[in-house]
Amino acid sequence: QILAVGSKSWLRRNIGAEEGAGWWQEGCVAVGSALLTKFSRTWRSTTPPPTSLLSFTILFLAWLAGFSSRLFAVIRFESIIHEFDPWFNYRSTHHLSTNGFYEFLNWFDERAWYPLGRIVGGTVYPGLMVTAGLIHYILNLLHVTVHIRDVCVFLAPVFSGLTAVSTFLLTRELWNQGAGLLAACFIAIVPGYISRSVAGSFDNEGIAIFALQFTYYLWVKSVKTGSVFWTIGCCLSYFYMVSAWGGYVFIINLIPLHVFVLLLMQRFSRRLYIAYSTFYIVGLVLSMQIPFVGFQPIRTSEHMAAAGVFALLQAYAFLQYLKDRLTRQEFQTLFFLGVSLAAGVVFLTLTKPSLPPLLRYAKIHIPIIASVSEHQPTTWVSFFFDLHILVCTFPAGLWFCIKNINDERVFVALYAISAVYFAGVMVRLMLTLTPVVCMLSAIAFSSVFEHYLGDDMKRENPIKQHPFYPVKNSSVYSKLIVTMLMLMLLMMFAVHCTWVTSNAYSSPSVVLASYNHDGSRNILDDFREAYYWLRQNTDEHARVMSWWDYGYQIAGMANRTTLVDNNTWNNSHIALVGKAMSSNESAAYEIMKSLDVDYVLIIFGGVIGYSGDDINKFLWMVRIAEGEHPKDIRESDYFTPQGEFRVDKAGSPTLLNCLMYKMSYYRFGEMQLDFRTPPGFDRTRNAEIGNKDIRLKHLEEAFTSEHWLVRIYRVKKQENRQALDHKLHVGNNPILTKKAKQNKFRN
Amino acid sequence: LESGGAAIFVLVSCVFCASALADGLVNEDVKRTLDLSSHLAKITAEIQLANHGAARVNSLTLALEAELAPHLAFIGVKGEEEEDEGLELKETTLHGQSGKFFEAQLPSSLAPGAKLRVKVETVFSHVLKPFPSHITQAEQQLVVFQGNHYLYSPYPTRSQTTRVRLASKTVESYTKLGNPTKSEESIEYGPFKDVPPFSQDDMKIHYENNTPFLTISSITRTIEVSHWGNIAVEETIDLRHTGAYLKGPFSRYDYQRQSDSGISSVKSFKTILPASAQDVYYRDEIGNISTSHLQVLDDSVEVEIRPRFPLFGGWKTHYIIGYNLPSYEYLYNLGDQYALKMRLVDHIYDDQVIDQLTVKLILPEGARNIHVDTPYPISRSQDELHYTYLDTFGRPVLVATKNNLVEQHIQDVVVHYNFNKILMLQEPLLVVGAFYILFFTVIIYVRLDFSITKDPAAEVRMKVASITEQVLTLVNKRLGLYRHMDEVVNRYKQSRDTGALNSGRKTLEAEHRTLTNDITALQTRLKAEGSDLAEKVGEIQKLDSQLKDLVCRSCQEAERLVAGKVKKDAYIESDKTLSGKRQELVSRIDNLLDAL
Repeated sequence: QILAVGSKSWLRRNIGAEEGAGWWQEGCVAVGSALLTKFSRTWRSTTPPPTSLLSFTILFLAWLAGFSSRLFAVIRFESIIHEFDPWFNYRSTHHLSTNGFYEFLNWFDERAWYPLGRIVGGTVYPGLMVTAGLIHYILNLLHVTVHIRDVCVFLAPVFSGLTAVSTFLLTRELWNQGAGLLAACFIAIVPGYISRSVAGSFDNEGIAIFALQFTYYLWVKSVKTGSVFWTIGCCLSYFYMVSAWGGYVFIINLIPLHVFVLLLMQRFSRRLYIAYSTFYIVGLVLSMQIPFVGFQPIRTSEHMAAAGVFALLQAYAFLQYLKDRLTRQEFQTLFFLGVSLAAGVVFLTLTKPSLPPLLRYAKIHIPIIASVSEHQPTTWVSFFFDLHILVCTFPAGLWFCIKNINDERVFVALYAISAVYFAGVMVRLMLTLTPVVCMLSAIAFSSVFEHYLGDDMKRENPIKQHPFYPVKNSSVYSKLIVTMLMLMLLMMFAVHCTWVTSNAYSSPSVVLASYNHDGSRNILDDFREAYYWLRQNTDEHARVMSWWDYGYQIAGMANRTTLVDNNTWNNSHIALVGKAMSSNESAAYEIMKSLDVDYVLIIFGGVIGYSGDDINKFLWMVRIAEGEHPKDIRESDYFTPQGEFRVDKAGSPTLLNCLMYKMSYYRFGEMQLDFRTPPGFDRTRNAEIGNKDIRLKHLEEAFTSEHWLVRIYRVKKQENRQALDHKLHVGNNPILTKKAKQNKFRN
Repeated sequence: LESGGAAIFVLVSCVFCASALADGLVNEDVKRTLDLSSHLAKITAEIQLANHGAARVNSLTLALEAELAPHLAFIGVKGEEEEDEGLELKETTLHGQSGKFFEAQLPSSLAPGAKLRVKVETVFSHVLKPFPSHITQAEQQLVVFQGNHYLYSPYPTRSQTTRVRLASKTVESYTKLGNPTKSEESIEYGPFKDVPPFSQDDMKIHYENNTPFLTISSITRTIEVSHWGNIAVEETIDLRHTGAYLKGPFSRYDYQRQSDSGISSVKSFKTILPASAQDVYYRDEIGNISTSHLQVLDDSVEVEIRPRFPLFGGWKTHYIIGYNLPSYEYLYNLGDQYALKMRLVDHIYDDQVIDQLTVKLILPEGARNIHVDTPYPISRSQDELHYTYLDTFGRPVLVATKNNLVEQHIQDVVVHYNFNKILMLQEPLLVVGAFYILFFTVIIYVRLDFSITKDPAAEVRMKVASITEQVLTLVNKRLGLYRHMDEVVNRYKQSRDTGALNSGRKTLEAEHRTLTNDITALQTRLKAEGSDLAEKVGEIQKLDSQLKDLVCRSCQEAERLVAGKVKKDAYIESDKTLSGKRQELVSRIDNLLDAL
């Protein structure tokens, strides 16, 4: 607005100059205006206003700021894929880019879930891989020879810019341009979103939030215009969202909810009818094209609300149509019939066991879901941590929206309320809350600024005055103070965002760093050391048993077959691994033999004090194993009689002799880390281990990384006792032949 | 007759000593040194040759035992002096003898009875066999060398000694031909007198050798030349420990706590890069290998390469190392002719062995007439094309391969080619063109209306906008008229030329009428479009007529002043009020114009 005023005065000055100029100039102007009139049909006679340049610049800067603040990890460490799931995504993208799209869709990954395997093409949301693969393909077509890894690493930061743009568009539809720009700036740097989209975090959420916001923008646009064009755009965007993330369920429930509430509010219109009918049908058909989704949209309870609202909308429209043609009496009878029929249908569907949408997703009763930290309920601290001041201001924005309600503001209100609910259930769903918080806070800030900074504009143009604010001549000082305060808040917000991003969300977790007293940095690269050892120095088809957390990393970095991985679809298989880890060595050996295990990999943090190691996760393994094998494994056996989980001498004997304990502490009892502590002192649990004399019978140490963080054991093959009946090809395998001969003698 | 005699002599000598060469050369004195202290067998023989024949001798034949020949990595013959260039070697065959033979051209032919000292240097890889082939982490690595006690030569040898250098004091066993003397880390054989040509006697030494048995099983060296001042070098290396295999567990505890544990394993090694190497990177498929150190020295850059894990026997690893070099140090040009002088293979570690080398030389796009001078024979493969940033028709790639290389192969290759300098502009122009197209597209998109349906509201808005713009110009023009009239009046006040005033007034009237009519026409058009701006334009018209009246009045006042009907003071007074009113009206019109 300031700019608008500025441009006006500029125009005026220009006119003044023209006034004094010579006649020839006027002639030129006259000719120019004549030409302009001529071309006004095709050639836009007015240049786009300077505000569009400003908006473009602000959006571009927001994109840039969002992109660069996500690069902490790349600058500190390197261009590397982070954490666990991204490694799987990277591996499948790599497969896609090397073997082509159809090969990817048909990919049967025999390296996962040995001996079951995994049909990757049918069990992933392919949007992420296809996006990265497509970008890589196009770049290579243009001879921009970037590695697929770099495309994957930088995909999420680039998409954060697109998210900012789509948030801008959505907020502009809801409120005005100014609020849109503020919202774009907020979403670009807010930690709640950065946590999932730093460079290297190559995960579905990185692109899904963009798809989510863009779908919502197109939805609002189509409700506003009632045009099929925008609705088809919305469907395509929804299709992209379905292909990218399981969170599409949020869209397919929120949009029907919006329609439903609009119906309740007597805000039915033809625009709404066109928008929703088109969206539901086209969106449904499109979403069913994703192999992983398949027929779910017409089968599962999560999608039933959409179908119900669709039917309701049709019925409502039909009744509206009849209303014009029937007498009051007839209409009432028909209405009664219809209502009772609908009630019957609803009753029938309810008798089937069904759970409300997303709630099932958030259900915490299986230990395997509970064991994941991001599935825990959100604390207040993390709300503030992830959203900072926005968490306080967004209710104000919501209030503004409700106060001045229209169709699309109903939508954003519902969006806010449902997202707040889900974010409260599960830390992970904080992500869906973040965009709406940014939008509503932007509306709040924008309204305040409009009031306290919009002074000049009002004098110029009193018609455009804001309807909420009675024209109060607040003094210059109060304006100044409020503005300063607001700016301070925004500044603190920016500082907080950068701090959180830098300290909490920019660790690749594959590479650890420790700092010395003088500030120099030590890189602990044990994970990659061990994985690379596996990749280079084990048989190509060796099977590695580890806890499921490391499955994707082993597959991605070590390129070896794993038994269980982060795609925790088969609880019993995981429980079997848990049982092997929590049994004693000979029982575990039987399990490992039956699973054809060649190597066992564990994470042990006792030497460097790394708290996320397998002993600390061990109780979850026991619990999951107990769930499936209650006769063999009992959680209580692993506690002391006092109910404590201890690794020292007082620990329970079952724990002190189980495979996990033995593998973790094998030869650790001899190791003295420093002079103040006895040998075998575990730094993570601050205890001297209870069982120092560990001997392994069926396993042998194959590799231990430099800081003992990763330990790999080889499962010894059974001795070849039985002579084989069939005739051996002599010379084929000298050792075998020799042994077979010896056995013959023995027999 | 003489030639016939020579022929007979040749025939006779052939009968006498199988196929010993008949040129009468004799190894007077031979000092052999077998350096077995690393994982290579470096055999050096200092030979004093004498020509006992009758004719001058131009070339010299060198022979290698059939057992060792396949492992030969390098052979070189030098004259007496250190600075002497190596002699040119050509492989030949000798009928009836097993092994490998080379013919060396002597720098000057050797006269009968003359003597010559030469130094023959041979390097063999993979001839030290670990025995036992599998050891545990705590054990030492023992290797066996099998060779020849004598110099394998087509000439008779008068006297020779053989000295074997070992890697350690521990020797399990060694052949005891001629009662050798063993000191600290070496064994001395001989002297042996009068050894006939092609004599062989098996030498076998079994000793401890814990030096790193590192082998580069394959390396791909890519050199990318850019005429913008950079040469990028990247080496993809497969490394393997080819010593005794590790048997049983690998214990990190022992490895950390006991210094002699895993003594034959490789923890790290040093790679020496050219002094001007910059932006060195050391990585593999899963990212940067953080366990390396870089040290910039005066004459080189040393990278301490530490594989992710220590390499034990049988273990392998794979990595990529790359760096940039400034092209002015390696690229020479004369007009359009360029020459690149680079090392075909560079240092990776001391006593390196490369089983398989692939060199890829990527020349700039548009390089023609490519000609390669290699320091030693190397097999060229089909040329390829490489596409990278901003390439259109691809860069030529020279591909060459060679097996079994050692340190002595670190030599320069020279590539000559022609390159038209105009082609340097291609890439910037491409970028400029791309941006031009981008901006042009944006301009077209922003300026042109591509909608297939007419949006009546927008259409009207656009029309109204264009009309108001015209109104703005016209009104401004009209205001200009008044100002012009003022000037006319002022001039009249000084010159008292009534004619000029009247004509000025007439033109004002005429132009004012046309302008006002135009504006009224526009106003009706605005009204037709249904815009409420028409009212504002009407208001402007109303104000304008008042303004015009004022102008006329000031004109009349001036006339009256000139005619002497009013006094000057009164005139100034009235003029002030008039101009005040006019100012007010103009500002009101301005405000209205702003609102348009």
